[in-house]
Amino acid sequence: MARMKFISDAERCIECNGCVTACKNEHEIPWGVNRRRVVTIDDGIPGERSISVACMHCSDAPCIAVCPVDTIYKTTEGIVLHDKDLCIGCGYCFYACPFGAPQFPQDGAFGLRGKMDKCTFCAGGPEADGSEAEFKKYGRNRISEGKLPACAEMCSTKALLGGDGDVIADIYRNRVVFRGKGSEVWGWGTAYGKPEKQQPQQQPAAQGAKS
Amino acid sequence: MTAAALVPLGLVAGCGEKPVTVYKAGKYQGKADSQPWDNERFKGDRNAWEKAIKDRSVAQNEYARVAHSK
Amino acid sequence: MLLTKKASSQAGTRGRLSRQVAGYLGNTLDRRAFLKRSGLAVGAGAFATQLPFAMIDKAEAAKQGGGETRVARTVCTHCSVGCSIDAHVQNGVWVRQEPVFDSPLNLGAHCAKGAAAREHGMTDHSARLKYPMKLEGGKWKKLSWDQAMKEVTDKMLAIRKDSGPDAVYWIGSSKHSNEQAYLMRKFVSFWGTNNCDHQARICHSTTVAGVANTWGYGAMTNSYNDMQNSKAILFLGSNACEAHPVSMLHTLHAKENGAKIIVCDPRFTRTAAKADYFVRIRSGGDVAFIFGLLHHIFKNGWEDKEYIRQRVYGMDKVKEEVMAKWTPDKVQDVTGVPEEQVYTVAKMISENRPSTIVWAMGQTQHSNGNAVVRASCILELALGNVGKSGGGTNIYRGHDNVQGATDVGPNPDSLPGYYGIVEGSWKYWCRVWGVDFEWVKKQFASPAMMTKPGITVSRWIDGVLEKNENIDQDSNLRAVVYWGHAPNSQTRGKEMVEAMKKLDLLVVIDPYPSATAAMAAMVRQDGVYLLPACTQYETSGSVTASGRSLQWRERAIEPLFESKPDHTLMLAFAKKFGFDKELAKNYKIVKDKDGWDEPEPESILREINRGVWTIGYTGQSPERLKLHMKNQHTFDVKTLRAKGGPCDGDYYGLPWPCYGTPEMKHPGTPHLYDTSKHVMDGGGNFRANFGVEKDGVNLLAEDGSASKGADLQFGYPEFDHLLLKKLGWWDDLTEAEKKEAEGKNWKTDLSGGIIRVTMKNHGCHPFGNAKARAVVWNFPDPIPQHREPLYSPRPDLVDKYPTHDDKKAFWRLPTLYKTIQQANKDISKEYPLIMTSGRLVEYEGGGEEQRSNPWLAELQQDMFVEINPKDANDRGVKAGDYVWVETPTKARLKVKAQVTERVGAGTVFLPFHFSGWWMGKDMLEYYPPGSAPIVRGEAVNTATTYGYDSVTMMQETKTTLCKIAKA
Ligand code: SF4
Ligand code: SF4
Ligand code: SF4
Repeated sequence: MARMKFISDAERCIECNGCVTACKNEHEIPWGVNRRRVVTIDDGIPGERSISVACMHCSDAPCIAVCPVDTIYKTTEGIVLHDKDLCIGCGYCFYACPFGAPQFPQDGAFGLRGKMDKCTFCAGGPEADGSEAEFKKYGRNRISEGKLPACAEMCSTKALLGGDGDVIADIYRNRVVFRGKGSEVWGWGTAYGKPEKQQPQQQPAAQGAKS
Repeated sequence: MTAAALVPLGLVAGCGEKPVTVYKAGKYQGKADSQPWDNERFKGDRNAWEKAIKDRSVAQNEYARVAHSK
Repeated sequence: MLLTKKASSQAGTRGRLSRQVAGYLGNTLDRRAFLKRSGLAVGAGAFATQLPFAMIDKAEAAKQGGGETRVARTVCTHCSVGCSIDAHVQNGVWVRQEPVFDSPLNLGAHCAKGAAAREHGMTDHSARLKYPMKLEGGKWKKLSWDQAMKEVTDKMLAIRKDSGPDAVYWIGSSKHSNEQAYLMRKFVSFWGTNNCDHQARICHSTTVAGVANTWGYGAMTNSYNDMQNSKAILFLGSNACEAHPVSMLHTLHAKENGAKIIVCDPRFTRTAAKADYFVRIRSGGDVAFIFGLLHHIFKNGWEDKEYIRQRVYGMDKVKEEVMAKWTPDKVQDVTGVPEEQVYTVAKMISENRPSTIVWAMGQTQHSNGNAVVRASCILELALGNVGKSGGGTNIYRGHDNVQGATDVGPNPDSLPGYYGIVEGSWKYWCRVWGVDFEWVKKQFASPAMMTKPGITVSRWIDGVLEKNENIDQDSNLRAVVYWGHAPNSQTRGKEMVEAMKKLDLLVVIDPYPSATAAMAAMVRQDGVYLLPACTQYETSGSVTASGRSLQWRERAIEPLFESKPDHTLMLAFAKKFGFDKELAKNYKIVKDKDGWDEPEPESILREINRGVWTIGYTGQSPERLKLHMKNQHTFDVKTLRAKGGPCDGDYYGLPWPCYGTPEMKHPGTPHLYDTSKHVMDGGGNFRANFGVEKDGVNLLAEDGSASKGADLQFGYPEFDHLLLKKLGWWDDLTEAEKKEAEGKNWKTDLSGGIIRVTMKNHGCHPFGNAKARAVVWNFPDPIPQHREPLYSPRPDLVDKYPTHDDKKAFWRLPTLYKTIQQANKDISKEYPLIMTSGRLVEYEGGGEEQRSNPWLAELQQDMFVEINPKDANDRGVKAGDYVWVETPTKARLKVKAQVTERVGAGTVFLPFHFSGWWMGKDMLEYYPPGSAPIVRGEAVNTATTYGYDSVTMMQETKTTLCKIAKA
């Protein structure tokens, strides 16, 4: 069974922002909202490295725990999604998230804080897959089309990998063998470190449906 | 969409009606979601979906397209 | 409440995230974070957060129509890597963009620009030019196409009548497809002038001239993919991470497999961040640095002596010069690089062969650019790397089709395929075009003007401003047509507005003409016309990537708004000028939805196929190219060769030269001059283009050096009918071929018979088999010389390495060298900082198109200058402050200070993609309403100084001087 994860390979990332605009393009994300960002450290000096960051879809997602209206859920594939209809825009998830993933676009002309928006692993939300409602609220649902995140699929150097954790870990491991360095994967301890418990029961769909 | 049909009735309100939120601590309160293979494209065939996803994962590996000796 | 973490600060995502990232990786912030956090990201403040989900309505409209989704395969228009894109189109709307994993060039990958390709002016708030406009009484006014075409062409014909055809200057485009660029050269010829040019002049003209004169063809020898076969890659004058991002997929793959990456640059670029070894050199010291490398190579006997003996002319003379003149102390004096570092680089590229050198505008845009690139060629020749997989000179071109437009497009000194502009070449092309040579001749002011190279785009302003008695044509330029070219990419912007002011007529044909429009509107009241052209996603045609592979773009969507494809417009102009019949004689004409005549791109490509034998643009028929696009998955990523399938044996995109007729099935040439392969397998050798001997020295290859399986295993001259007869091969020709080939050579035989017999039957190269030239005796500096930039920070070095003498009539204009250098010898007292410029990954060229794209514009909102902490502190400048950058022209740029060690003390860097501010002032009021790009800023070239290459008139952008003060 696929457990979706991201890997961001600092040895390869060239801070080209392809992942960022791929996301904007696929989901038509408005100005000022960034589901994905590229962070660079030691900019301009030896040791400069970049990392592409979005929601990591953590195993034990802190956002789920803090949400006061329990609007965040996890799918069978380990993707962390939420229902915008319930979201009250309180921002707690933002403070809980170790990756700064949740975004709060301003809503309308009054500068009110809108509903939370974040990376969906290109899996949409709890509306009918590929429906207009889903697109408007959450963006496109590539996962239900059998595709993977636009950001990873378009990454210029394949620094950003997204997909079944086992498969992408193999891809990454193979690289590490060739180059002999960079074996630690950024963010994985924080995101996936803990054993993957209580994953299935958070999937809100019918358990008895099909599997 | 066919997906909606697979969601237990208890969780879905009628068309146009807003679902009533009953707050229960620690449990997801939103609308139900469907499985990614429960749609027109995959017609509930989970294996087909898994295979599609696997292919797309492998597509991100340029080593798969380059002959190597090491 | 389930609140487990307390909101403690408003510092925001960025701070916490950065800390966490830093915990793993290090500690300082990147330039975007820095700009944003210092509250600087205000360039588009009003825009932010209010922008609706941009294209949702269009997408919905498409959905409601419920139409089928059509997938068009096109190619990114933002750089020469040539990444494929699948456009999903519904009811005529481009609704989605999907990665093309099958493409062997990019395997689905994109940088920011390519991944944002779909947003290219599709929305109503877009800055695209939507209909023709003119400037009238200082105001922009909408026009109908009929009215606009009538007014523009009437004015042009009037100018032609008064002042002759040379009074109009045509600036074509490296963003045109091959067909459009080719048609443009033909169109300008029929107008009667050689006054045309395009971006290649200011991009790689020095490369094309320098490299072609060294060994035959002026192009990248290998390919981006071939990086995977290199053992050491030296980037000198290229920041590929920002300029050619997806090429890094291949480069980093090579690195993972043991290749050493070396970067030499005045800046610690992002490419440097990925290198095994970085050397900081003084801007403008390139020749000295390369000869410093050669010094160690010769001293240690690392050169490939057998290769040099067989295949290189003049290396002994270079060696003498290098050993005498470029000792480590002198190299250090000029470049600032200590001996040990130079030695380390020399050793790395010698011990890890095949090695390759990569360059872009860091080498070319200098007043001695032709010498720099030739020094690079000599380095690779000395190491025996040229003509080998994993080796070569990998010259990264800029625009998506700058290679193709150079090959077949509007160059002022050559006809398509580098045929030259001598009478014989004109006659040859008239034969291909099916027009009467005497008629074309009469279109020109005189036969002399027909064979005189035109003015270059780098100097058109002098064609307007220079005193009439000093210029080498009758009239000054009175009208300029900017047909797909930015104004802010040419130097001396301050003088450019003066030239714009003086013109009778300025016509801009472009999807985004706004930078030119605003500059002109700032100084004029009328006489400016804007005509909307569509982008390459809205038409079809072929495009040549840097690695010489041709790819076919399918039309994704219909031209947006009232725009038209460039080739349609060329035909429309030709109708008004009265030579449409001649122009379109060989083309199929298709009517578009508004009833305009479009010359079908396929039939234009077929005409190119029939004429461009010299560089092998003959085998790439539209059918073959389309077959490649459909079968991308059959091509190997490392060799680019198809294994099985309908393209079996072909190299991807039939990289030119793809000799002979399409029926001859040449597979294309993956690596130029590669003797390890048969010529019908893409092999080759150096070109015999410079005679058979020089001062008693044999210029042909020595015995034993020839392409694999050639009947002649020694040097030989190029093939013509006489040589065929002498060798007894004439009878291999068919009767029909004989008839055409009689009296011709391989370049002018329209039957392709000479090529077929030479290559297929005898395994020989039609252009002969000669040595490469380390000494190019027909250039001002036969052996490349270091010459100090005209604006040098080192008066002492100006004495030791002075520039050239002034030239009187050079590309029709007087050109100054010594006069400028001497007058400014001590200017560094007042302007002490070296000013250089370069690329940002989000933008390209003049940047108008990308700065109008919200997905890209959001990522780079401010024009800035990179300044070293020492220089900043000396001037009391803090990060994020506005500063004035002033150059010796007294032009002043108001930009934000980015204080960083990326640049060394004494050097500052500015990106060149901005426009829309003029010396501190936002030009918003001068833009046609609604067409201003989202992000505007100072154009660095407003302030750049005088300086041109002594062969090609390349402009100096990389080394000048400035001073900086807090604003
Ligand atoms: S997975 Fe999808 S939603 Fe998340 S950052 Fe990537 S493109 Fe954006
Ligand atoms: S697209 Fe890839 S290389 Fe570019 S910034 Fe994103 S993760 Fe890094
Ligand atoms: S700009 Fe160049 S590297 Fe980026 S996607 Fe386009 S072709 Fe590829």
